[in-house]
Amino acid sequence: MKGKSSPMPQPVGLSGLQRGSGYATLNPSANQKQSWLAVTKPKRHEQLAGLLTIAPAFILILALTLYPVAYSIWLSLLEKHSFFPQQRFIGLENYLYLWKDPEFWSSLWLGVVYSVWTIFFQVVLGVAAALILNETFVGRGLVRGIVLFPYMIPTIVAVILWKWLLNDTYGVVNYWTLALGIVRDPICWLGADHIMLSTIVMSIWQFFPFVLLSILARLQTIPEALYEAAKVDGASASRRFIHITLPQIRGILFVVILLRSIWMFTKFDTVWLMGEGAGAGRFIRTLPVYAYMRTLTYYQAGLGAALAVIMFAILVVCTVIYFGLFREEADIG
Amino acid sequence: MNRRRFQQLSNRSFLYAGAALLAIMAAFPLFWMVSTSFKPPVEIFAQPPTFIPEDPTWDNYWRLFTATNFLTYFWNSLIVSGMAVILTMVVSAAGAYSLTRYQYLGREKIAGLILCTYMFAPIMVVIPFFILAKKVGIENTHFALVLAFTSFCLPFTLWLMRAFFKTIPLQLEEAALVDGAGRVRAVIYVILPLALPGIIATSIFTFILAWNDYIFTRILIASDELKTLPVGVQDLFHSALIDWGLIMAAGMMITIPALLFFVAVQRYLIRGWGAGGVKG
Repeated sequence: MKGKSSPMPQPVGLSGLQRGSGYATLNPSANQKQSWLAVTKPKRHEQLAGLLTIAPAFILILALTLYPVAYSIWLSLLEKHSFFPQQRFIGLENYLYLWKDPEFWSSLWLGVVYSVWTIFFQVVLGVAAALILNETFVGRGLVRGIVLFPYMIPTIVAVILWKWLLNDTYGVVNYWTLALGIVRDPICWLGADHIMLSTIVMSIWQFFPFVLLSILARLQTIPEALYEAAKVDGASASRRFIHITLPQIRGILFVVILLRSIWMFTKFDTVWLMGEGAGAGRFIRTLPVYAYMRTLTYYQAGLGAALAVIMFAILVVCTVIYFGLFREEADIG
Repeated sequence: MNRRRFQQLSNRSFLYAGAALLAIMAAFPLFWMVSTSFKPPVEIFAQPPTFIPEDPTWDNYWRLFTATNFLTYFWNSLIVSGMAVILTMVVSAAGAYSLTRYQYLGREKIAGLILCTYMFAPIMVVIPFFILAKKVGIENTHFALVLAFTSFCLPFTLWLMRAFFKTIPLQLEEAALVDGAGRVRAVIYVILPLALPGIIATSIFTFILAWNDYIFTRILIASDELKTLPVGVQDLFHSALIDWGLIMAAGMMITIPALLFFVAVQRYLIRGWGAGGVKG
């Protein structure tokens, strides 16, 4: 370093110290905006401190999430009772069994039906609601608070509530549909014919606030000037939505649909609790519910794990396809 | 009235109608729960149903507290959620500090990996988790439950805390270091006070997630005296004859703490949402 041309005037007393590696960062002209904590080359003890502070989080996730998920792949190759330690390696037999299992195919189908309808409507409803709540009107703050309730209450409460609303003899929904003359006989909402519909409606109600909040947060960052300019140009509300709003929310919409799809396809508690005790539970026995039942009703942990692995594989494949289809949006998101 | 003004007016009324519809749709089921929980049995089954209880009573709540194990479940929920919050926050605050203040090899990779696990649904984790917990011998303990909640919440709390820590200027910490404070002192006196709103918001999100959880508790906990509210109330629901008044009162009692906390963090919510949202 010494002898090479330096733009800085050399303080005489410090010349001997210039070999010190830290000197460059004291140069006020370099990286003035960034701070030296971030700019200094990582020193060994810095690295160590960094690794030590992230270690607890990393170890917990490794031990409590990644390891169990990896373990379930191994588990899916075993014949194992859920409660007793005996186990036997059977290779891919669990998967072969499921391939021939009509119950598996029906649960896959029911899961797809449930997720497609719930995702579609919660996104439509969520975006529409976000557009409304992005306008200014009296009582906006209150309504914004209220619409988030369904998402914040525990699932068990949401389910019990809806079972009460939809109760075939005393439910308020049946009372109104009868009183208004929409139907002639009370509808058995939780019976075989309608339980899927009821569960879908209830799930849309429970989860649309997530879409709403995500979209609303994004809408608030769109510059008002864009709309003003469009208005001056005479663009109608629907054209403003298509040409200004939609391109702006495309990125977040991509992420929201991805997350909601993953979570709806693997949704367990809502579906399980809706079906339980209703007698018609098998008409909403989706893949996650079936995996749970194999493990904890039939005690076939291996089969349950195989179902979880299949679910995971389907998600991975769909995610990859999704990213491929919407590459542009993925970049924005 | 000219045409333009008319157009504006009708737009406004559409807006208000939409907003009102939204509010009713979201709030009516909850209103119905409140209403039912204060009705005596006769009125619960009355046709036509009454909106406001004509003969309001605390009887459902009284029975909930005296005739069921509700208080045990409530206490368990409080303990387990509280412990999960403490563990999650300590671990994720340290982790977020590490991710925003230190440089080391593979930092971004670790952050990415942790965020990835955010997408693992509980049902995929809980089955092997249960088998492993059984092997280790911690099934049917609150300890296992706290660990499960922590692992479930960590990816998103870490992400949230990282976003909060990023907003705290490094210069402040440097100033403290230059003034001769050690790392630890700088963190305690400079970083933590500034990060407090974020820490509180994140803790409450974690609390709500743990408080509302059904699946982990259902699978990991077998004994009645260890059950948390959602599972306890579900079992109440399954007793032979459904006592709707009692169940609605129980629903109220689970919802109130979650709602109170929710109202407390509402103003952080949108900001947190941008940083990664809430799982569910």
